[in-house]
Amino acid sequence: MSERIKVIDVDVHNEQNDSDLVPYLPEPWKSRVARSGLGMAGSGYYSPVGVMRRDTIPPGGGKAGSDPDLMIEQLVERYDMEYAILTGVIYNVSATHDPDFAAAVCSAYNDFLIDKWLSKHKVFKGALAVATQDPYLAAREIDRLGSHPDIVEVIISSAARAPLGQRMYHPIYEAAERNGLPVAIHPGAEGAGSSTAPTAAGYPTWYIEWHTCLSQMFMAHLVSMVCEGVFEKFPRLKVVLVEGGIAWLPHIMWRLDKNYNALRSQVPWLKRRPSEYIRDHCYLSTQPIEEPDNPQHLVDLFNMVDAENMILYSSDYPHWDFDPPTGILRKLSAEAKHKIFYDNARKLYKLSPRD
Amino acid sequence: MAVHFVLDTKELPEGTHTIVTVNGREIGLYHLNGSYYALNNYCPHYGAPLCAGHVGGTNLPSDVYQYEYGKQGQIVRCPWHGWEFDIKTGVSLFDDKIRTRTYPVEVRDGKIGIVLGK
Repeated sequence: MSERIKVIDVDVHNEQNDSDLVPYLPEPWKSRVARSGLGMAGSGYYSPVGVMRRDTIPPGGGKAGSDPDLMIEQLVERYDMEYAILTGVIYNVSATHDPDFAAAVCSAYNDFLIDKWLSKHKVFKGALAVATQDPYLAAREIDRLGSHPDIVEVIISSAARAPLGQRMYHPIYEAAERNGLPVAIHPGAEGAGSSTAPTAAGYPTWYIEWHTCLSQMFMAHLVSMVCEGVFEKFPRLKVVLVEGGIAWLPHIMWRLDKNYNALRSQVPWLKRRPSEYIRDHCYLSTQPIEEPDNPQHLVDLFNMVDAENMILYSSDYPHWDFDPPTGILRKLSAEAKHKIFYDNARKLYKLSPRD
Repeated sequence: MAVHFVLDTKELPEGTHTIVTVNGREIGLYHLNGSYYALNNYCPHYGAPLCAGHVGGTNLPSDVYQYEYGKQGQIVRCPWHGWEFDIKTGVSLFDDKIRTRTYPVEVRDGKIGIVLGK
């Protein structure tokens, strides 16, 4: 039995063929991609499930997630969504080696996104993809398109060359703050190309390990952003940790606060307890939601850190580990559900009710 | 209120500290910039002997990536978990509500006295 709830989905993966970006690329990249494709770096981990939900492949052909009409039918209309934030997958280009190529691919994708998706239906809002290899080029791209009315955030890859709080990345956060856009961080290319190893212990053997340990990446990036003073330097910046898990949040808040008591002199620019910066500046998306044997345990965990104000519903459509809004978090109070499935995202992305 | 004279000033030169026992209480006595300060030898965290900790300065609140080193000689770090306390006030540097007890000090006729009680 399910009551009707208002839904904003903050992680929906639109896809396209590499050739779709060719018209949007300048030379020399246009000829390169026309001949050889994008050449994205893969993590190398084999999933026996595949990455895509098999039922999302368009009947007329093409990649899963590439047909806006099918997405509207299977996701937006089926779950009566008010908005779907299109996150794409181009952020994975941050694991490749050439900063100029990566920046050009992101620009082409962003123009394609606006042209072919955001104009298609009012339900779609877009995440502006930028590559992290050259943060100054990323900042330029944020200034180029950040004021577009259908762009609601910047998105970067959690697969990176260094912890994302470090100072060389600050031009991205400065530009995002200047444009009033949150920065979303998304996994996918962990261990690929020039990114770091996908787990703290190195390269695991299987996809099940790779996927489970993605939350480590988010813990490391979040601790880095807090300790490097990103939220002191950019006090209006908001960060969305997409698809990185949630249950680790109390752990990292408690551990960091405890260490701050002893070690604050290393980070004297922090004027408050580290967990307060996390609470005030960070959001976490739900999918893939943790599913303890006793569902109440997850609610208990949320309550430990007042997480209902920091969590945003996401489906991850059309990926294999899709979470339908009708399936997850059934134990939550109606008020908490309304925040997580709708209101937190509405406020963060400054979305007006549709119609 | 009672003043307990515990040391001659000659025994505690500028920049040094020691631990004395008064009425069964261990108290750290610090000589800092011409003044004397008395601190309960007890960390409010787990009861460690706070005054056995290293005395130095620290990085004061600053802008990001700026370092303003200060309070040289005025900060004691608990030997167990490294919490920093201001010797002049007994207050920790990470939370105003976390503090260890301090006592007034009186110097009379070349002797250092610690004031206990109201």
